[in-house]
This record gives sequence, structure tokens and C-alpha cells, in this order.
Amino acid sequence: MLATVKRDTGSAAALGPADEADLIERCRADDRAAQDELYHRFRRQVAGNLYRVLGDRTDLDDLVQEVFVIAFRGLDRFRGDARLSTWLYRICVNVALGRIRTRRRRPAAIGVADLDSASVDPSLTERPETPERSLQRRQDQERVHRALETLAPKKRIVLYLHEIEGLDLKEIAYLVDSNPVTVRTRLFYARREFYKVLAGETLSGDEGGDS
Amino acid sequence: MSRHVRPEKWADAFAGRLGDKLVAEMDGHAESCPRCAKQRDRIRRSSSTFPSLRAEAAPELSWDTIRARVHWSVSSEKRSRERVSRRGVGPRSPASAGFAPPWLIAASLVATGGVIAAALLTSPIAPPRPPSTAPVAVKDHAPIPVTLVAPVPAPLVGLVSRLAGQVMIDGVRRADVFERTLPAGTVIATGEGRVDVQFGADSAFSLAPRSTLELRRFDAERVELAVEGTVDLTVAPRAPGQRFFVIAGDQTVEVRGTQFRVTHDTAGTQVACRHGRVVVSDAAGTAVVATARKLAVGARTQVDPTRVAPLSAAELDQLAEATPATMPLWTDAATLVQTSAALEIATVGKSAVRVDGVELGEAPLRVRVMPGRHTVETADTAGRFRRSGWVDVTAAKPARMVVQTEAAPTGGTAERRRQLHAAIDHVRLANCTRAITKAGLSSFVHIEISIDETGAVDFLNIIDTDLASSTASCVREVLADVQFRRGPAATFRDKIDL
Repeated sequence: MLATVKRDTGSAAALGPADEADLIERCRADDRAAQDELYHRFRRQVAGNLYRVLGDRTDLDDLVQEVFVIAFRGLDRFRGDARLSTWLYRICVNVALGRIRTRRRRPAAIGVADLDSASVDPSLTERPETPERSLQRRQDQERVHRALETLAPKKRIVLYLHEIEGLDLKEIAYLVDSNPVTVRTRLFYARREFYKVLAGETLSGDEGGDS
Repeated sequence: MSRHVRPEKWADAFAGRLGDKLVAEMDGHAESCPRCAKQRDRIRRSSSTFPSLRAEAAPELSWDTIRARVHWSVSSEKRSRERVSRRGVGPRSPASAGFAPPWLIAASLVATGGVIAAALLTSPIAPPRPPSTAPVAVKDHAPIPVTLVAPVPAPLVGLVSRLAGQVMIDGVRRADVFERTLPAGTVIATGEGRVDVQFGADSAFSLAPRSTLELRRFDAERVELAVEGTVDLTVAPRAPGQRFFVIAGDQTVEVRGTQFRVTHDTAGTQVACRHGRVVVSDAAGTAVVATARKLAVGARTQVDPTRVAPLSAAELDQLAEATPATMPLWTDAATLVQTSAALEIATVGKSAVRVDGVELGEAPLRVRVMPGRHTVETADTAGRFRRSGWVDVTAAKPARMVVQTEAAPTGGTAERRRQLHAAIDHVRLANCTRAITKAGLSSFVHIEISIDETGAVDFLNIIDTDLASSTASCVREVLADVQFRRGPAATFRDKIDL
């Protein structure tokens, strides 16, 4: 049974389990066409995962390259206990984690030119966005990313996967190569820190009472 | 509820993870606690962006470049592994690498000594044998007949990488030149067009207009191209044992790795070398044509090494411009036919084009590209390249892009431009761009407008801007409302800074 995460991996990557196994086998046999097919099917998904986890596109080309190099190199060790897309997502998470650890700060400026480049699912917006609303949305997103950056890398990843991607503990545990209990603990502290920053409280600020 | 609400509890409430009663209690507290109300509002706003963050699509990247780098990285690793295994040096264990533990070394020495001593004690001591010099015939075995078969060199095939105008393959004008491979024996002929054929990584030729080229021999061991007309070649350095010839009438041009041009017509043969070195020979002699040199051999004369002359800067530029188009990543022709596609760039007149920043010459033309999104730029009348748009290409499916040419400038442009700038409603324009102005940003729109003698606007297009589409529409409406008086008809492009 192939495990999969809830994330929609896009129609381009949709592949039945049998076709997927065949594609993997051909890639393992160094079939160049199969490797191209794998790359073409999953490149946007991989780039999207990295882009969303990291929140900006700096060096995104290099990171996508790194993910695919790791994938092709490690395909022999892929046991097939998860869908290929999930396995690639796991690599993305690890590459992103490494990136977060080595990166100091993401560039803060958001250009107006970014408004169009950040495409949004049309179903999420009932009517075309006004420039003001679009700018407001980008500023809110920017605030979320800034809050994410205050967290330690491991906390950041689990918080992102849980709160934004909506994955459950078991799925996150697979992606970060940990166990669900550890993930739950990490998530507990990550949420406290993250929402405290979003709410405008400093980390060392007044704790207040519990509800 | 008398105590403050933790911020993450608000997030739970908005995500529907809490019961209605608890949420009502929390809201009740927030009504009387400005601090919690403020936190609730902030978290609500931030949480509402999660779906849009989740839905964010990947930006467009240089997919082909990434793919090339991935394959390069993976294949170099593989090659290096293969090299190591060919040398018989497998991955060494710490013990074999000289890190054997002392007890193992001692045990080995004792065991070896024991074996030698036992051999000396048990075997009779034989007298030393004289050195044998004569071969020993083995009478009992009949000689095994051995037939040596020369290995057949791997055949090469070419792929059309760029085509402008018509081309005939083996005497037939074909429409599917991008979907077929060109093996040995193929004859390619051009009319007014030009065709580029790639046959290896960094190896390609470009057949100039009104020329014919025959792939007389085309394999890994030897390439022989017979030319009538002009051919520009770029040839990757040959491996030992590989030979590359261009046959031009009585002259033969041999190369190792270079870029050069050979022209053979009724006036004789001309060879010009942009870089590298070629050897031109015939029955009478041999001449070496090195970098930035040329040699002309008349119709009734023979190769004379003293006639090698330097190329002028203009001639070198011509050679550079005629560099054959090559794919950035060459694997093998059969695979590339399936994984690449022809992109046709159609223009009304002739116009220089760039695809993904690489200049390809004058359109209309067709070029082989890898699947993905490609940016096309065309040169305006002043020779400046402007972005014409992008096109998505799928493997093995021809794609087409029609480039709108720049409208020819008409009289009265200056007057109409003045009228336009004077009549723009700047208050309305400022309303359109208020959001970006408040953010401390500026922008522009690049428009194309046509106005007739009565002052009516025939068309108004925004051809380039970095504004969001809704803002750009707002700006366009403001510009479209400009009233022009009677005057000269004019069609022009203008850039309006916002």
C-alpha cells in the first residue's frame, strides 16, 4: 500500500501505482527518457513545495536541482512504501531544512511585480482582487513568513506542515523522519511561539493566563 | 472567562478545532479585553492567508537548465564510478586501505610463515631449470582458427536544430524535418533558407542559402561531408581515431575541433577558420589554416600554403553570426526527437529574434527547443530587443508563436504624443496606482496607440508593464478616455511612468 500525503500534487504528476513503479524501474536502469519523464512530471511540484516552505525564490533553481540529484541518486534505496510524490516531498522538506539552517534572513522587500507572479488558486477568491487587497494579502503573507523565521528550523518545518499544509502528525513524522510523539511535542512549542509572534507579543513578553 | 486567551487558541478556534461553547467564551472575553481582541484580529487576518499560501504555485524557473545540471551531476557521478570500477579499484574497506588492526597483521605474518615452512619441508628440492627460450608446441591440440572482424563504427545521425526558409531532404521538400533524423547518405539542399543540423554535443553545421551538402560518411570513426555552396561548422574536439573531413571539389578540409566555414563554388574553394585549426589539402599540397585565418583556392589552381591570409574583423563577425544553433544538452538524436519540439516563430516581416536570451537570427524561423516555457524577444526597427511574449512547448509537439511586429512610425507622432501627455487625467491615474504609491513603489506602462485624423483612437494596447493586471486595466481605461483633436494620423509606442 503506497502511503501518500494529502497535498494535491497536481494533475501533471498524477500517475497510477503501476505506472509509477514502472517509471522508477526505468529510472533505476539509467533510462534517460524515464529520468526526463520523472523530472517533467514532478519539477513543478518540487519547486512549489520548496517555494512554499521557504517563502521566497532565492536560489530556488539550485534547490530544485539538489532535490532531483538526491532523488536520482537515492532511487535505488526507494522502497516503495510511499508514493513517489510523497518521497520527493520528503526530500524537499530535508533540503528546505538544510537551507533554513544555513540561511540568515530572507529578503524582506516585496515588489509590486511579485503580485502577478504569486498566482493564487482562483477558487479562493470570489472576485478579481483589487490592487489594495492583493497588496494587503501579500503583506499578511509576509507577516506569516516573518513569524515562521523566528522559529528554530525543526519547529518551523513541523509548524508549516501542520498549520499551513494541514498535514497530520503521522504524515509530518514521515516527512521529517521522526516519530509522531516527537512531532507533537515540537509542534506544541512551535505553535506557542509562532502565534505569540503573530499576535504581536514578544517571546519574552507577558505570558498571561490560559483559557 | 476571566483569564487572557492564548494566541494559539485563537488559531484553533479559526481552524474549527474548538467547541462552539469554548469559542463563545473566548469571544466573550475578547469583548471586554482590548488586548485579546487585538490579538484575535491579528491572528484571524494571518490565518486567513494560510489557504493562499498553500495554493501558491511555483514560479517559472529555468527548467531546461536545471534538468541539464541534474543530468550532468548524476551522469558525472556515474561516469566517475564506472572509471573507478574499470580500474579495478572498488570502494576500499578500512582494512584494505592500510588500516588493518595489528592483531590481523600479526596473524597474517604467522600464517604466511607457516605455509612457506611447510612447503619447504614437504616438497622435494628440484634442480634449477634452465631458462626456456623456444616455444613449446602443443601437438595434441589443433590450432583454433581465429577470424578478426573489424568493429563496425557507431553510426551518427543529425537533427535539425534551426530552420529558416525551405529545405529539401533527399530531393523532397519535407514539412517534418524536425521530426526525423538524418543518417549517412542524406543530401540536404537549401533554397533561400538556412538549416542547422546538430550531430553531437557542440558539433553542428549550418548550411547557407543555395547550398547542398551530402552526409557521405557519417559515423563515430569518420565523418565526410561533401559541400556545394557554403557550410559553417562547429566541431567538438575529435577523439583519437576519429576523423572529420569536408570535401569541397578537389580540396579536402580536415579538422580536429574548431569552428570554420567552407565555401565551394565555381570560383573555387574558400576556407575560413574562426578558431581551432583546419588542414586543407589536395593532390598538390597541404596548407594549415589556423585561428582567424583564411585560404582561397581558385577554380583552376591548387592549394598553396603561402596564400593563407588573416581574416578581417568583419569576416570574423560574419563567422560568429553564422555559428550553428546547438541544443544545450545533447544526449542522442533518437531520444531528442521524442523529448524536444520545434518552435516556430512567425513574424510578418523579417525580424531578429532571441529565444531564452539566445540570438537565433532572422525570423520567421523554426528552432528546436526542450519542453517548457520559452521567452521570445524580437528586435525593433532600431535593433533593440523587446520581449514579445512567452510560449509553452510540450515534447514532440510543434509549437508556434506569432510575433506582432512593431507598427511602422507615421507622421504627426510628436504632436499626438504631446496631446496624449497633456490630456491624461492624472487624478484618475493616481487613483489607479494609489496602492503601489503608498507602498513607496513606482511603475510604468508601455503602450502602443493609433489615432486617426478625426482624433479617434483606433487601438490602444498595453504592451509591457510590471503592474498587476487589474491595475494595468485601470490605467488603460484612463488612457483610453483621452480626447484627441483632429490632426495627423499617428501610430506610436510610448512609455508612461507612474
